[in-house]
Amino acid sequence: MAANGTIIGRTTRVRGRVTGEVDLEVQGFVEGEISVGGDVTVDTHGLVGANVRGRRLVVRGAVKGDLVGEEAIALEEGARVVGDVRAPRVAIAPGALVRGYVETGDGAAGSARATRAAPAARPVVAPKAAPAAAPKPVAAAVSAKPATMAAAARPAASSLNDGGAAANSTNANASHGANHAGGRRPPPPVVPALKKAKGQIAKKKER
Amino acid sequence: MAQARTTTRGDGAREARIGSGARIRGKIHGEGDLLVEGQVEGDVAIRGELTIAEGASVVGEAVEAQGVTIAGALEGDVAATGQVRLAAGARVRGNLRGSAVSIEDGARFSGRLDCEFDLPPELGGSSRGETRGRPAARR
Amino acid sequence: MASTVIGAGITVEGEITTDEDIVVAGTVRGKLSAKEAVTIEHGATVEADVVGSSLTVAGALTGNVTANERVDLQSGSRVVGNVKASRVTIADGALFKGNVDMDV
Repeated sequence: MAANGTIIGRTTRVRGRVTGEVDLEVQGFVEGEISVGGDVTVDTHGLVGANVRGRRLVVRGAVKGDLVGEEAIALEEGARVVGDVRAPRVAIAPGALVRGYVETGDGAAGSARATRAAPAARPVVAPKAAPAAAPKPVAAAVSAKPATMAAAARPAASSLNDGGAAANSTNANASHGANHAGGRRPPPPVVPALKKAKGQIAKKKER
Repeated sequence: MAQARTTTRGDGAREARIGSGARIRGKIHGEGDLLVEGQVEGDVAIRGELTIAEGASVVGEAVEAQGVTIAGALEGDVAATGQVRLAAGARVRGNLRGSAVSIEDGARFSGRLDCEFDLPPELGGSSRGETRGRPAARR
Repeated sequence: MASTVIGAGITVEGEITTDEDIVVAGTVRGKLSAKEAVTIEHGATVEADVVGSSLTVAGALTGNVTANERVDLQSGSRVVGNVKASRVTIADGALFKGNVDMDV
C-alpha cells in the first residue's frame, strides 16, 4: 500500500463516516459509511457494516451494506457480502459469497451517480427520463445481438433500472416487431427438438 | 429448422445438445446434461449440467439444473443445486441461486444472488431474514 | 509503518478505537482512542478528544488529550485543549492553548 494511503488496522474500530478522495484499506472494523474517490480494499479480516462507495472496490472480508463501484468491484475468495453490488464491472470469484442484488454495466454506473447525488434514493426506484433517453453502450451492444433477448417481456425486466429499461426498449424496436409487439402473445408453432419437451409444448398450444 | 440431437454416452449418462442453428420454444426437461448452442425460449429443468455456450441464449421463467455455466445470454431465474458460473462474455438477467455463484470480470448481470452463509457476529451474524423478500434456498 | 493510518485526503467523522498505534495525516472529527502511540502529522486536522499511550502532534489538534506516558507538541503544531500526561514537552514554535496536567 502507498505510504500516504489510509489503513484501518486490524485492531482498529471506526464508527462513523469515512470520506475522502484517496485509497482506503480496511483490515479492521468500520461501522457507518465509507465514501471515497479512490479504491477501497476490504481485507481478509476486514469487517464493514456500512455502505461502501469508491472507484474500485476489492473485498476479501465481510461486508454488510451496499457496494457501489464507479469503475469496478471484485469480490474475491473469502468475501462475504450481504447487500447490493453495483458497478460497471463486477467480478465474483469462486469462494466469494453474496446475498443481494447485483448489477453490472453502464446502467449500474448511472444509478451509482444518481446515488451519489442523492444518497437516500434507491437506484432501482429512481426512474429518470434523461438516462433512458441517452443511448448507452449497453443498450447498443445488446440490441445488436439476435432478437432472442428482446423476448424479455418478463415482469422482472420492467423492474430493472434505467439502463435495463433503455436496453429493453431499444431491443423491442430492433426486433422482429410482430412477435414482440403484443408483449406476451402465445408463441408461434413449436419445432420439437427434444422428445421430452413434447408434452409441455402441446400444453402451451392449448392455452 | 431445429437441429438438435440427444446422444447417449457409454456410461449411460445422456447429454442433449441444441445446436447453434436450432431454435426451441417450449419447456425442456430431462435427466442428463444439456448444452445449448442455439436459442431456447422456455423453461429448462434438468438433473445434470446446463451449459449455455457463447452466442446461445435461453429465455424463460425458470432454469433448474445441477450446475449452470453461462457464456451466452440467459434471461430467467436460475436454481442450481451446484455451482453457477458466468463466463466473461455472459449476459444474464434474473436471480441466481446455487451452492456457489461466480461471475467473471466482463460478464454482464443484473439480478439477485442468494448464497446461504452467515456473516461474522460483529456484523450481526446470520442475516438470512434480511434477504429482501426471497425465500431461503431449498436444501 | 503504523497499523492504522488515516491518510491525507481522508476524513473520519466518528469514533476510532485501536489496540495498536495510529497515524493521522488526514482529518478526524469525533473521538480517537489508541492503546499505543498516536501521531498527528503535519497537515493533519484532528477535532477530537485523544487517548493514547503517547501522543506526538505536528499538525492541528482541537480537543482534550490523555496520554499514559508522554505528549510531544512539535514545532509547527497547533493545539487547543487540555493535556493530561506524566510528561509533556512543548517545542519552540508550537502553538498551544489549554491546561497542562502532569499528574505527579
